[in-house]
Amino acid sequence: MTQPHRPAARNRARSGQRTLRGSSESRLRVGMIAIAIVLSFFGARLFQLQGLDPKAYAAKADAEGLVSVPLPATRGTITDRNGVPLAQTVSGMMIIADPHVTRPHAEPIARILANKLGLDYFDVLATLRKSNGPKATSDLQFAYVARRVPSGIATAAVDAVDKAGYLGVTTANDPLRDYPGHDIAANLLGFMGSDGNPLSGLELSFNNLLAGKDGKETYEVGDGNRIPLGENTEVKPVNGKSLKLTIDRDVQWYAQRVLRTAVQGAGGQSGAAVAIDTKTGEILALADYPTFDANNASASPEADRGSRALSNVYEPGSVEKVLTTSSLIDAGKVTPRTKIKVPHQLPVLDAVIHDYFQHNFIRLTLAGVIAKSSNIGTVLATRAFSHQQLWSYLDKFGLGHKTDIGITGETKGLLPPVASWSELTQATIAFGQGVSVNALQMAAAVNTVANGGEYISPSLIQGKATTADGSVVGTDETTRHRVVSPAAASAESRMMEMVVTQGAGTAPGAAIPGYRVAGKTGTAQEVGATCGCYDGSLAVSFAGFAPADAPRFTVYVVIQHPKSSAASGGGTAGPVVRKILSYLLQKYAVPPTDTPPARLPVLW
Amino acid sequence: MSSTLSTASASPSRIRTARTAAAAVERARLALVPSRQVNAPRAPFAVLVLVVLAAGVVGLLMFNTHMQQSSFYATRLQQRADSLEARREALDLKLDQLRDPQHLAAAGHKLGMVVPANPAMVNLATGKILGLAVPATSADSMRINPDKAARPSLIDPKPLVHKVIATVPGTTPGTATATTTGTTTGTSTGKTTAKTGTAGKASAGKTAGNSGQTKVSHGTASTGAGTRADRKGAGTASQGASR
Repeated sequence: MTQPHRPAARNRARSGQRTLRGSSESRLRVGMIAIAIVLSFFGARLFQLQGLDPKAYAAKADAEGLVSVPLPATRGTITDRNGVPLAQTVSGMMIIADPHVTRPHAEPIARILANKLGLDYFDVLATLRKSNGPKATSDLQFAYVARRVPSGIATAAVDAVDKAGYLGVTTANDPLRDYPGHDIAANLLGFMGSDGNPLSGLELSFNNLLAGKDGKETYEVGDGNRIPLGENTEVKPVNGKSLKLTIDRDVQWYAQRVLRTAVQGAGGQSGAAVAIDTKTGEILALADYPTFDANNASASPEADRGSRALSNVYEPGSVEKVLTTSSLIDAGKVTPRTKIKVPHQLPVLDAVIHDYFQHNFIRLTLAGVIAKSSNIGTVLATRAFSHQQLWSYLDKFGLGHKTDIGITGETKGLLPPVASWSELTQATIAFGQGVSVNALQMAAAVNTVANGGEYISPSLIQGKATTADGSVVGTDETTRHRVVSPAAASAESRMMEMVVTQGAGTAPGAAIPGYRVAGKTGTAQEVGATCGCYDGSLAVSFAGFAPADAPRFTVYVVIQHPKSSAASGGGTAGPVVRKILSYLLQKYAVPPTDTPPARLPVLW
Repeated sequence: MSSTLSTASASPSRIRTARTAAAAVERARLALVPSRQVNAPRAPFAVLVLVVLAAGVVGLLMFNTHMQQSSFYATRLQQRADSLEARREALDLKLDQLRDPQHLAAAGHKLGMVVPANPAMVNLATGKILGLAVPATSADSMRINPDKAARPSLIDPKPLVHKVIATVPGTTPGTATATTTGTTTGTSTGKTTAKTGTAGKASAGKTAGNSGQTKVSHGTASTGAGTRADRKGAGTASQGASR
């Protein structure tokens, strides 16, 4: 239908415009050539950009007003059992310089920043002049002046620079680690290095949990403002998770202060105090002395920044008699009223065992042996045990096993293998020499007696969390196993009450009037660092729990190398335990049990 | 005749003939429509197109401007939010400091309070006192304030003491002795005579920033603190000289 019209139309066009544009074929040809020329230019350029040196051009494009800012993840909070932050991340700021802009005025800007931020003038100057190439062509636009500065200070410093009329110094968010309690639980928490990496304690062992993952934002800027529809990529930071401890901040603070007063009073080298919730094994306080300010860790010697309660092993001394005698009672070998004839000294193999107090031949009951802390009496009672029996009881009490509460650097102590035991080894181990422990192990072992003979693995983390080395720890992972029978534990507890009884025991200073308190002193000889022998230095300790007939809290205190010659487990460490126990009983409102205190015969 | 022939011999040719005929009839029905001259004015359309174009351009411009404006506004609001957030943080920190057991203990200590020696409590239901309420004595008090942390020897070097004999005109040499004490920093830049030592101190005091820096050198600890301190000392000296 339409075909007949077409030739007519073509003819019409040809006849009208031939003179102006020439023939259609030549026009087409010219047009094609023009297009081909233009396209070949495009093609050549494309090849040049994409084929020859794409990276250099991409980098050049990036440098053109494209800014990349790290978005730091907020580190998780470490709180105490009541949710009070012990370590938290507050909004710090990073101060960023654009060396491209600051280079010409580096000196005055550096002076202002160095003054306001307390930085080194020359370091700041170097940053402000920083370049990534030859000075004239350098286009570096991003350099850190300072990181993790408290926001108030950072803002003030940058405002001062602005006020002075200089450009190129800005701030951005950069979370800052803060320890509100300074030295409270610092030995447990650890601290962060100036580069933002954890260096010790929980910060280090739970870094995977706490750290989160930094993000990054890249965007185009023009004149300091970001271009609204410009290129913009953002990788959101993943914030760290928080960690809840079983520590009670107030108890921890009090334990640290009481411990410090005692260690300083005795001229001691170091000390540790552990408070455990008897029924759950939760650590309410784990104090170390000396300690450090976690906000300013570098001001303290490195040796003070770890937890000595976990890393320091020592021979526990007489506190260990609690474990030996309760095992003996559990095995049915003795009762608290077993009569023992105690000579003034006892030769064992080629050694002679003495008591710490001078005495002639005395007749003590087993309760008396504990109350007076007689080494000879304990050794005589333990003769009813084979090596293997004593070893397996002590093994079940947790000696020689790490407590694994989630802090790296714990030492597991030493319970010598039973094959290496001699009669003398058994004798000395029975009263706590020749075996070494850390403070928390000893606290957990005594807590077994307080908890009716069932060992509870102590825990520091509420719920559960995975450490850097992959082990899962926390209250959810608590393990329990029976060591001695409830009857044996109760008998042991009554014997331990005699220790704090005025006139009968070695530590009347640990008694809390109105409450029934069970305890045991320890004054151990220590192996010196240099000679590898007992060099006269001591470790004085005391373990106690209250109320004795329905224990709620177990507290263990050890003071290393007291200079004072009057230092003893009962006199030096006992009052510390009493104070911490009193504080706990009051804070957690534990009323006295109102039952008559244990009255066991000491002599016969 | 031909039709009968074709019907007899070949049917396709007959159909084609019929179609051609039909097409002819059809074509005969069609007539050329006279072209209608449309005399609608072109100007309004051109104006309309221009207006739409202009509106588009102006709209786009305004949109862009508005976006820019919003961006400035957002930047400003963000800054304000940041500063308010910083203020909130500062107040939170202050609150934390006030709640700190150390602070509370110090405040209580100031009021003459001590931690009770013996736990005792009142049963509110019966009004009975549980435990022995014993008045606290001064023996129950304890040291609350932390003692100064022992510094690593690296950042707390022993002061270097140079004893020099000052030669004052009029007095015989050897009678008056002046002592300059200072850390290694001071002594490495300062001369060993008492006079230049004090001059150096005075100039450091004048430049507020540098006096601040010398203080900081004690607080910050890092490896190479010694070299940093030396550089600060050099800074003090050079700036003092330039003024």
